[in-house]
Amino acid sequence: MIRFFLHGLPALLIVAIAVAFLNETRLSSDKKNEMTIGSIAEPSMLNPIQQADSAASDVGSMIFNGLLKYNADLEITTDLAKSFTLSQHTTIFFDDPKTVPGAMGKLFFMRGRWADWKLTDVRQDGSSLVLTFSEPGMAASQEIMGLFDAKTVVPAPIIRVDLEGKAAETLKAWRATETGAKAVRDWVESDAAFEITVVGDPAPVVKDLQDFLAGRSQKGTVAAGDVLPFLAEPIVDFTLRDDVRWHDGAPFTSADVVFTYRAIMDDAVASPRKPDFLYIQAVETPDPHTVRVVYRKPYSPALQSWMIGLLPSHLLESKSPEWWAQNFNRNPIGTGPFKFSEWKTNEYVRLVRNPDYFDAPGPWLDSMVYRVLSDQLSLRLAFETKQIDFWGVDPWAVSEFQKDKRFDLFSYPSSSYSYVGWNLKRPIFQDERVRRALAHAVNVPEMIKYILYGYGVQSTGIFLPQMWFFNPDVKPIPYDVEKARQLLAEAGWKPGSDGVLTKDGQRFTFTIITNNGTEVRRDIATLIQDNFRQIGIEVKIELYEWAVFLKNFINKGDFDAMVLGWALGPDYDQYQIWHSSQNNPEQLNVVGYKNPEVDKLLVDIRQEYNRDKIIEMAGKLQSIIYKDQPYLFLFVPQATSVLWKDSYRIRRPDGKGGWIDSPVEMTKAGWSYYSEWFYRPEYADKLPR
Amino acid sequence: MLNFIIRRLAISVVLAFLISLISFFIITLTPGSPYPWGELNPKITPQVKEAFKKKFHLDRPLIEQYWLNMRDLFNGNLKSIKDDRPVLQKIGERLPATISLNVLAAVISLSFGLALGVYAAKHAGKTPDLLTSILAFIFIAMPGFWISYLIVIGLVRFTDVPILGTQSYGVFFPNAASMWLDRFWHIALPAVVLSIGGIAVQSRFIRASMIETLREDYIRTARAKGLEPDTVFFKHALRNSIRPLITGIGGLLPGLIGGSVIIETIFAYPGLGRLGYEAVLERDYPTLVAINFIVAALILIGNLISDVLYAVVDPRVRLE
Repeated sequence: MIRFFLHGLPALLIVAIAVAFLNETRLSSDKKNEMTIGSIAEPSMLNPIQQADSAASDVGSMIFNGLLKYNADLEITTDLAKSFTLSQHTTIFFDDPKTVPGAMGKLFFMRGRWADWKLTDVRQDGSSLVLTFSEPGMAASQEIMGLFDAKTVVPAPIIRVDLEGKAAETLKAWRATETGAKAVRDWVESDAAFEITVVGDPAPVVKDLQDFLAGRSQKGTVAAGDVLPFLAEPIVDFTLRDDVRWHDGAPFTSADVVFTYRAIMDDAVASPRKPDFLYIQAVETPDPHTVRVVYRKPYSPALQSWMIGLLPSHLLESKSPEWWAQNFNRNPIGTGPFKFSEWKTNEYVRLVRNPDYFDAPGPWLDSMVYRVLSDQLSLRLAFETKQIDFWGVDPWAVSEFQKDKRFDLFSYPSSSYSYVGWNLKRPIFQDERVRRALAHAVNVPEMIKYILYGYGVQSTGIFLPQMWFFNPDVKPIPYDVEKARQLLAEAGWKPGSDGVLTKDGQRFTFTIITNNGTEVRRDIATLIQDNFRQIGIEVKIELYEWAVFLKNFINKGDFDAMVLGWALGPDYDQYQIWHSSQNNPEQLNVVGYKNPEVDKLLVDIRQEYNRDKIIEMAGKLQSIIYKDQPYLFLFVPQATSVLWKDSYRIRRPDGKGGWIDSPVEMTKAGWSYYSEWFYRPEYADKLPR
Repeated sequence: MLNFIIRRLAISVVLAFLISLISFFIITLTPGSPYPWGELNPKITPQVKEAFKKKFHLDRPLIEQYWLNMRDLFNGNLKSIKDDRPVLQKIGERLPATISLNVLAAVISLSFGLALGVYAAKHAGKTPDLLTSILAFIFIAMPGFWISYLIVIGLVRFTDVPILGTQSYGVFFPNAASMWLDRFWHIALPAVVLSIGGIAVQSRFIRASMIETLREDYIRTARAKGLEPDTVFFKHALRNSIRPLITGIGGLLPGLIGGSVIIETIFAYPGLGRLGYEAVLERDYPTLVAINFIVAALILIGNLISDVLYAVVDPRVRLE
């Protein structure tokens, strides 16, 4: 007995491990028709309206579909919607119903201009005039309004009510009163706030609402807000595909769209996506395959919010968000090319082919596995043992893989850029010539070479080069030390006795701050310090922990210059980052940028629905802001992925009933854009028909 | 004895709470926030942030947060910030992987430790003893993460055998035996690494204990009455020297459940240690509170079991 422990057990263990090792080496190299993707992060859950992490959206994109999606050029196209049309109702209020026919008559006289305005219909509704446009926007409505006698037109103020709860119930009760019935529009933002729109003087209505709340002994504040000259309500009509089924077989209908919208707005769900949907007045479903979305005001980026994955109402409607968290979010049902199959926490999420995918015959791969690994090294080890099929390489390791003939490499611009922000409230940075001089003094190409190992492109402003509204005519400010010296001299900065530039007795010295732990940012600060020393500017570098950095410096706007980066989606709306009103603590225009022309463009571009005009406005925004140099725009890093050579090919529908067969290729949306159409070449003969 | 156990249990309960309270404060001192969407996200409104904070009590003072978390832990209602699932369920999911890894590691370290220790004691003062001593010191000196990386990178460089996780991906298994061997292989590697320190320490304990026992009078008596040297060694001496091994079992308990952060991370092994590690990175305070409390309690219980076993194995020891 005791001898068995001494000799037998250790020997047994050694033999067992040796046999297991031999078994591993003998596991055949013929692979399953399966794709394995490695990730450091595990999805938090699989629910498009509750998740906020990128791992979840990667996995979720294979399970769920939205009404719309991005195409390979990052432009909006249809997904679960067959088609959609845009229009707008503009309602202009008059003081007297009798003036409306006169106003209508005026418009009928100007029939020739209707096409320019995209105006399709005019009708009277009591004392208001309702215009229908085939393209949403503010410009045409404003122009038409200018035609009428300003004294006869009545504005529409918005009144906001903040309460401690029961907003919907309170609103309903108030709408039943005499004053309440007169409001032209109402909208419940959350359980604690609603808004109403009235016509004419808001004061008596505010008073009435206050009394009403007091009468119900509810606490709350009533405040008159924006005054609208007219109601402009963009409308999106979606026609849904009628051949889509949920993974459990139930048909997909407009009820699912409405349900998803209501769930996002529901306070109990606490959806981080709610801000995208606050522009919506109502979602209506005239029939099972039509959805009409009415917006409260023109806001063109809102269209993108319909890319959100839709939820099955037949499974979730009667259940609480607690139930979702326990069940659906770990076992989701969608409409996508792959069905959820199994989730082993911190190991993998397995998806299997959906044979009933609406883009028949469905994806080629039998299954797709998202493996959760722990760090970059483990991803690499798993890739080299063919345990994951591709891997995002760090810039420093790219050249090593490039030399190796066994691999295919794909490089593409990431969706972020790095910059140095100048605090424009500090006197030294207020002169535009100084900021241009600083841009000339920094050797960005060298920075890309040494920090990113050459895998990056110089940034030329607020938009990323792969976006359709990017302005390629903006050229980067070249590295030119002489030009920098000259501009600084023009601005009055002369070298002092110790070589540091001075002006009116003040030395040109400042501090660059950034967060600890991001090596790229620390290296940027160091290279800049060196570049600036050469033109006589003294720079100190300070590193802080991320939370401290944000709380004590960025949110308060208390810094000279800082190194940071923006991660951006394919969205041209950068109001929060650049509008002069967004400069309060904890807002995002931390550098205090202020340019009236940019302010106007930022407001206009969000209200513009015309593609050409959006490109024009975005181009202007980019060139003006680049010229003003509130940031020293540095670079857009390249991301690189590596695949085993020829491990996959793509066979995707060409949209006309045929197929396009190609090697894995790069698109603006990345190399994995068509991943639902990947197949292994060894299975080429066995693809489902 | 019963008195002793009750008194120790009472002290342990207080201690476990104190440990978890202090560790909660230390965790919340680390910079960073538990928000899943990051700090600088233009799309997140203050209302959404407030609703989130309220849901997880993050708007309360720290001491109140701790109290609410502990209350929910005992109610079974404690939810992870990351995915809104009950923390106890998340911990429960990891237990099979953690326990199987650590049981195998314990078996390896006890069996090899015992064998090496006995071998060294049998040849005390001669070359084999010297060699095993050197081996033990090398094992003790090598940090676990270092030896793990050596094994992992060496295997990847010279073979193309899968190593990470709990199974191989994308391959067909010819039969069920092959599949189970694959699972075993994925547990065996981290278990070997985990047990290396244990082998060294156990073998030193056993060797010292054996040598001490061999000097006892009753061993001399046994030899003097002409018993087989092997019988004396394996029956009389070994049985009496095995005490440190048995009492060491109590110390295995926290590792058995708590797992090992570093080894599990290197081998991408889905155990409880990695759950804790990821909860730290995500500032998932409720999960951390639960894990800290459970591990603290297990360490205290483990100590208690060691003491009790000591008394059970050796009747000369009395617990007061």
